[in-house]
Amino acid sequence: MLASISGLELVAKTVVDGFIAGLHRSPNFGFSQEFAEYRAYSEGDDLRHVDWNVYARTERAYLKRYRGETNTQLTLLLDASASMAYGSGAVSKLDFTRYLAASIGYLSHQQRDAVGILVFDDAVRQYVPPSSRHGQLMRILHAIESARPGARTDFAKPFFHCMNFLRRRGILVVISDFYEDPEKVVQVMEPLRAHGDELILFHVLDPQELRPVFQDTAVVVDMETEAEIEVTPEYLNTEYRQKIDAHVEALRERARRAGIDYFQLDTSKPLDSALRDYLLVRQGRA
Amino acid sequence: MGFLSPWFLAGLAGVALPLYVHLLKQHRSEPVRFSSTMFLERRTQSSIKHRRLMYLALLAMRLLIIILLSLLFANPFLRRGQAAGAEGRKLVVVAIDNSFSMRAGDRFERAKRRAGEVLASLKPGDKGQVMAFASSVQMLTQPTSDPGELRRAVAALQPGDGRSAYAEIARILRAMGQPEGLPVEAHVITDAQRTSMPAPFSELAVAPAQRLKVHSVVDKAEANWFVEAVSVPRSVFQPKKVRVQATVAAAGAEPGEVAVELVLNGRTIETRRVNIPASGRAMVEFFLPDASYGFNRGEVRVVKGDTLPQDDRFPFALERKEASKVLFVYEPRSARSVSYFRAALEAVEDAGFTVEPVGVEQASNMGYDKYAAVVLSDAFIEGPLADWVKSGGGVMVAVGPSLAARGRVPLTGAAIREGRYASREGERFLAVGQVDATHPAVARAGNFEPVKFYRTYDVDTDNSRVAARLSDGAPLLVEQRLGAGRVLVFSSTLDNISNDLPVHSSFVPFAEQSVEYLAGVEASPSQYVVDSFVELRAARDARAAVDILDPDGRRALTLKEAADAQAFRLTREGYYELRRGNGRNELIAVHADRRESDLDVVSAETLALWQGGGGGSGGAPGTADDGAQRYSLWWYFALALLIASVVESLFSSRYLEAAPEQSATRRKAAA
Repeated sequence: MLASISGLELVAKTVVDGFIAGLHRSPNFGFSQEFAEYRAYSEGDDLRHVDWNVYARTERAYLKRYRGETNTQLTLLLDASASMAYGSGAVSKLDFTRYLAASIGYLSHQQRDAVGILVFDDAVRQYVPPSSRHGQLMRILHAIESARPGARTDFAKPFFHCMNFLRRRGILVVISDFYEDPEKVVQVMEPLRAHGDELILFHVLDPQELRPVFQDTAVVVDMETEAEIEVTPEYLNTEYRQKIDAHVEALRERARRAGIDYFQLDTSKPLDSALRDYLLVRQGRA
Repeated sequence: MGFLSPWFLAGLAGVALPLYVHLLKQHRSEPVRFSSTMFLERRTQSSIKHRRLMYLALLAMRLLIIILLSLLFANPFLRRGQAAGAEGRKLVVVAIDNSFSMRAGDRFERAKRRAGEVLASLKPGDKGQVMAFASSVQMLTQPTSDPGELRRAVAALQPGDGRSAYAEIARILRAMGQPEGLPVEAHVITDAQRTSMPAPFSELAVAPAQRLKVHSVVDKAEANWFVEAVSVPRSVFQPKKVRVQATVAAAGAEPGEVAVELVLNGRTIETRRVNIPASGRAMVEFFLPDASYGFNRGEVRVVKGDTLPQDDRFPFALERKEASKVLFVYEPRSARSVSYFRAALEAVEDAGFTVEPVGVEQASNMGYDKYAAVVLSDAFIEGPLADWVKSGGGVMVAVGPSLAARGRVPLTGAAIREGRYASREGERFLAVGQVDATHPAVARAGNFEPVKFYRTYDVDTDNSRVAARLSDGAPLLVEQRLGAGRVLVFSSTLDNISNDLPVHSSFVPFAEQSVEYLAGVEASPSQYVVDSFVELRAARDARAAVDILDPDGRRALTLKEAADAQAFRLTREGYYELRRGNGRNELIAVHADRRESDLDVVSAETLALWQGGGGGSGGAPGTADDGAQRYSLWWYFALALLIASVVESLFSSRYLEAAPEQSATRRKAAA
C-alpha cells in the first residue's frame, strides 16, 4: 500500500500517524505533548521553542520541553548499494528502507530530535548533518528520496565519516541488508559504540532472500558484483537457508555482544513492527 | 540397402537446423538477478544432469525425425535373394522348347547349341537342370552339378509334336521356388512363337527371386503352308464314295497356288490345285472311292516346300465295316413302327446300323449275339433275351397297349400303372417337358417340344434313370440296368399313333443315339490332336486288357497300364492302333495342333517385358537388375518416424514445462 502512495512525506506521515494512533489506544505507551520542564537555551536550538513569555519576564531564553521529547540526535545511515534494489514483490528493499527511514525521521522530527541522514554504498553518497532546524525534515526526505542503487557495499567509510563528523552522542540507525561478514560490520561500529552512540541495526531482507523459491535450476547474477552462478532448487531449499539463517543469527549475536540493537525486518511485513522496535529502544533509553 | 529415389537424401542437410538451435545457438537459461551470491554455491546436481540429458535427448529425437523423413522419401529397400545362394551359387535351369514348331528348319539344333552355351557358362558351385517343354514340362534331369549329365540330357532331346505353352513353363518355374536354397536363373530357349503366349500376360510371371532370360532362336516370322483340318467320316458301311473336305492355310505367306493331294494307305488318290490368299485359307474337297474293309490310313497333303514340312500332311483314319444289325421285334398291331424306325436309321448317313424286323412270335427263340441292339415295339420277350441283356446287350422297349395289358415292362419287370389318353381334337395332348441333356440317348436329339403325345403309359421308375419327362412330369424315357446291359423304356409307341414323334426331325437322332447307346458304340472323332486323351475302356470293359501301338508300332502301355489305365495321352503325330479286349479295335489318327503352324514370332519388346528388365538382362518385376529381390523398408521407416515424433513431443513438452514457471520467477526478480 505504501508503494502506491506517492510522496515520501505523505508516506511517512501516514505511517507514523497511524502508528501513533495505535499507540494512543494502547495503555502501555505514553506519548503526548504535555509540558515537562524548561531548559536553558543553547546555541543552535530551535528559536521556535523559546518561551518568549519567560524571556520577557526574565530576559533569559528558555526552551519548553514536553513529555516524550528527548532532544536526541538521530542519524540515519541508509544503505543504497546495488543489492538493496532487489525485491521479489511490489516493494524492493531500497523502497522499504526509504519508507522506514522516512518514517523514523518523521517520528523523530515530531519529537524534536535532530535528525540527519547518510546515504552510502561503497562510499558516502549523501550526508545531511543532524539538525532540528526548520526544513530539516524536508532535507532528510529529499535525501532519502534521491537515494538510488549504487555499487557495492562498504560499511567502513560511512562509519568513518560518522566518527569524524558527529560531535554529539546520539543514535545511529543503520538500515541495510548487511551482506558482509558480521564481524567486520560490528568492528566498524564498535568505535562509535565506544564513543557512547547508540546503534540500531535494521537488517532488511526480502522474503525471497530468506526463503528463496526456485522451480528449476537457474543462473543467478549478483546485483553488486555481476558474478553468475548456477544454483539448484535443492541447494536453495537446504544449504542456502541454513547459511542465511546462520548469518542473521551471527550478526544478531555479534551485535548483541557489542551492545548494538539488532532487528531483522522482512520487506513483506508492515513497517509498524520496525517503528515499534525503534520506540522500544528509545523508551528504554529515556 | 538401396534407395528407389535417392535424390531425397538431400533432405539430410536439414539436420543442420536442430544442431544450430540446440548446440550452436548456445541455448542457456535466462539469468536471474539476485541481491547477493554471498551464500550461494555451485552444485552439479542430478537435476542439472537430468535436464541436460533431456535437452540432448530432444536434440537426438529431432535429428532422428529429419533423418527418417529423408530416408522415407528416398524409398529404401533391402536386396534379398542373392544372399540365399551363399558365395554367389545359383541353379541354372535350361528349358528347351521342343514343341512341333521347333521342327522348322534348324531351330531345334540352334536351340540345343544355345543350351550348350548356357550350360558351359556354369561356374564352380553352380547347379544346373535341363527341362523340355511344350504343352507340359518334362524334367530331363534333377538339379545337378554334373555338367556331363546336363550335356547328355540336351543331346538326347528330340523335338516333339506338342504345342508350346509359355504359361506352363512359367508356372513350373514359379512352383520351383528356390530349390536347395539356391537362387534360380532360368534360361528359356524357344522359337518365341506368338501363338504360345497366354492371353493373360500375368501368367508369364516368374517368382520374384528368380531371374529369367529368354533366348529366341528365330529372328523373324517365316512363311508356312499347312493342312489345317480334314473332315471325313469315322466309319463307312457302304461301298460308296466318301467325301473328304480339307482346309489348307497359309501363315505369313504371299498368295499363291498350291497342290493338295489325297492319299489313302500310301497311294495318292487325287491331286487338286487351289489358290490360297495371303495368310488365308482355302477349302478342298475330295471323294474317296470304294475304301477297303477295315482300317484305312489316309492323308491330305500340301505339296509346297517350306521350313516346316511336318504340318503339310494331315492324317486321318477311315474304317470300312459292315453295318451292325438292330433286331426290331414288333407286335402285329405296331407293325407301322418298323417303317418309321428303319427310315430314321437309314436317314443317317453312315449310321452303321441296319434294321432287321421280326414279329414277336419269331423272336422268342432267336439268338441275339449277332445284333448290336434289340428294339421291342410293344412286344413282350424275356428268357434268352434277358440273358443276352445281362451279358452286356442293350434293348429299347416301346410301351403300347399290349405291354400295358400285361401290366409290366419286359426284362425289367417295372410296373405299368396306367395309360393316359388325350384327344386328337383341339389341343388336348401332352408334350415333352424335361429332357436330361446328359443322357447319351437324347443328348443330340434336338428339340422335342413340337412332339404331341396322345397316349402314354405311366411306368414305374424305381432304380431307374429318367432321361425325359412329359409336361405333366410323367416319365417318357427311362433307363434301367440289367446286369451288364441296359434297357431303355419308352412310355409310348413308335408307330405315329400314340404320338407323332416319328414324323418329327428329332426322331432320327433319337433313334440313332438310342441304338448307339444300347450297342455301346461311343462316338469317337476321326482325328485327335496331339496331347489329347483317348478313353481306353468303358465301364462294361473294366477288366478287359487294352493294348496300344504307337506310330512306330511299339507298345505304348506297360502291363499294368494295359490292365488298369482308363485313358491314354496321344503325344505323337501319326497313327495309333488301339486294341480292346472286346474285339473293338480302333485306328486313331493324331495330328499336331495347327496353332503350331503359325510361325509368327513374339516381338522383342514383349520378350523384354516378360523378362522384366528389358534387353534380356533384367529379372522379373520386383527384382533388382542383379536379380536380387527388393524388400521395401518404407513401412518400417514410417513406423520409426511415428514413434520418434511421439517421443519428441513428450520430451519437448516436459522440457518446456519448467520454462513458464521460470519466467514468472525471473519477472518477479526483475521487478
